[in-house]
Amino acid sequence: MKTLSDVLSLHKDKIIAAWIDRLAEAGDGDSETEPMIRELLERLIRALKSDGPPDIKAPTFHDLTKHMIEVSASRAREGYSPSSTGRLILGLKAAADSAIAAEYSADPDRWRRESATLSEVIDGLSILTFEAFMRAREEIITRQSDAMLEISTPSLLIWDEVVMMPLVGVIDTARAQHIMEEMLNAISREQARVAILDVTGVPVIDTRVALHLTNVVSAARMLGAEIIVTGFSPEAAQTLVKLDVDLRTMRTRGTLRAGFAEALRLLQCQIRPIG
Amino acid sequence: MPDSAHKLRQIEIVVTREVDISHARQAALALAQALGFSRAAAYRLATAVSELGTNLVFHATHGGIISLSPLDAPGRVGLELVASDDGPGIADIDHAMCDGVSENGGLGSGLPGTRRLMDEFEISSSPGIGTRVVARLWL
Repeated sequence: MKTLSDVLSLHKDKIIAAWIDRLAEAGDGDSETEPMIRELLERLIRALKSDGPPDIKAPTFHDLTKHMIEVSASRAREGYSPSSTGRLILGLKAAADSAIAAEYSADPDRWRRESATLSEVIDGLSILTFEAFMRAREEIITRQSDAMLEISTPSLLIWDEVVMMPLVGVIDTARAQHIMEEMLNAISREQARVAILDVTGVPVIDTRVALHLTNVVSAARMLGAEIIVTGFSPEAAQTLVKLDVDLRTMRTRGTLRAGFAEALRLLQCQIRPIG
Repeated sequence: MPDSAHKLRQIEIVVTREVDISHARQAALALAQALGFSRAAAYRLATAVSELGTNLVFHATHGGIISLSPLDAPGRVGLELVASDDGPGIADIDHAMCDGVSENGGLGSGLPGTRRLMDEFEISSSPGIGTRVVARLWL
C-alpha cells in the first residue's frame, strides 16, 4: 500500500485545487496563493518521504518548518491577518481528506493512522505559524518604538551657547535615558552654557519623571551647563507641590519664552529693537 | 451624576510594564472627563495613577492591577482608584507613608504624595501577600 507521502504526491494537483477552493471560500486566495501552497505541499511530501518519524521537530522536517516560518513572518509583515495565515495551513487538512479516503478506504486502520499523522503534522505547523507570526509583529512594534525614540527628542541650537530640547510624550525609563544622552551630547557638541528642556508636551509629571529631570540637571551641571526647565502647566505645578517634589534646585520657568529670557540673562545678553 | 456616567463601568488594567502605566493613565483621564471632573482634578487623578502604577512596575514582584470605577453615592459623583499587587508587601506602612522614603533611589515612594492628591486614601499591606491601595476622588 502507498505511503502517506506517495498519496499526497499522487493527488498533488487535486489537493492543491481543493485547498485553493477552500481558501477562496473564506475570501483568502490571491494570485500568490497557488505557488505558495504548492511549495508547502512539495516540502511536506519530501519531509514525510524520509524514514524518520512524522514529527515536525525531527531534522527531516527542518526544511519544511523553516519555510513555513518564513512564509508566516513575511505575511505578518505584509499585513495579512493571523487568521488568514492560520487558515492557509489548516486548509490542507480538509483538502487532503478525500485523497486519503480514496487510497486507504480498504484499510480503515491504516486510514485512521495516516489521517492522524497528517493532522498532527498540520497542527504542529499551525502552532509554529502562529508563533512566527507573533514574533514578526513584535519585531515591527519594537522597531517602531525604537524609531519613535529617535524622532522624539531632537536638540536644537537656538542661540549662541543655548540648546533647547522640546519633550513630547510619556517619559519612561528608556526615553529618560535617551533624553539624558542626547542632552549631554548636544551640550558638549555645541559647547552650550544654557540648555532649555521644555516639558509642555509631557502628559504627566509625576515623581519619577521629576527624578529623571533632576538627574539631567545634575549631569548637565557637571558639563558646566545650566538647565532651565520650561512648560510646566498650572496643573503640573499644583500636583508637584502636593507630591512634595522639591524642584528648588532646578531652574524652572512657566513658558518657553520666559525660559529663553532667563537663558539670555544668564549669558548676560539682551535683545533690543534696532534704533 | 451625568446621564452618560450610568453607562460607565469599572475598568481593570494589568500593569506589568511602563507602557501599561500610560494605558491606565489614559483610561483614568477618559473616565474623569466622562464623570465631569475639572482639568485640574483629572490631572491629579492621572498623576496618582502614574505614582501607583510606577510602584506596581518597579516594586511589586509580578506587577499588579489598577482598577478604576465610577462611584454612585447619593448626591455625589466620585471615582475610585484601586492598585493591588501580590507581593512583596510593605513591612512598615507608616515608614513608607513618610515623605522621601524610597527603595530604589527615587524621590519617594509616591504614596504620601498620592494621599495628598486624592480625597480619600487607604492602604493595606502584608509582607508576602501583597499591597492594596484604595483612593477616591469626589467631584
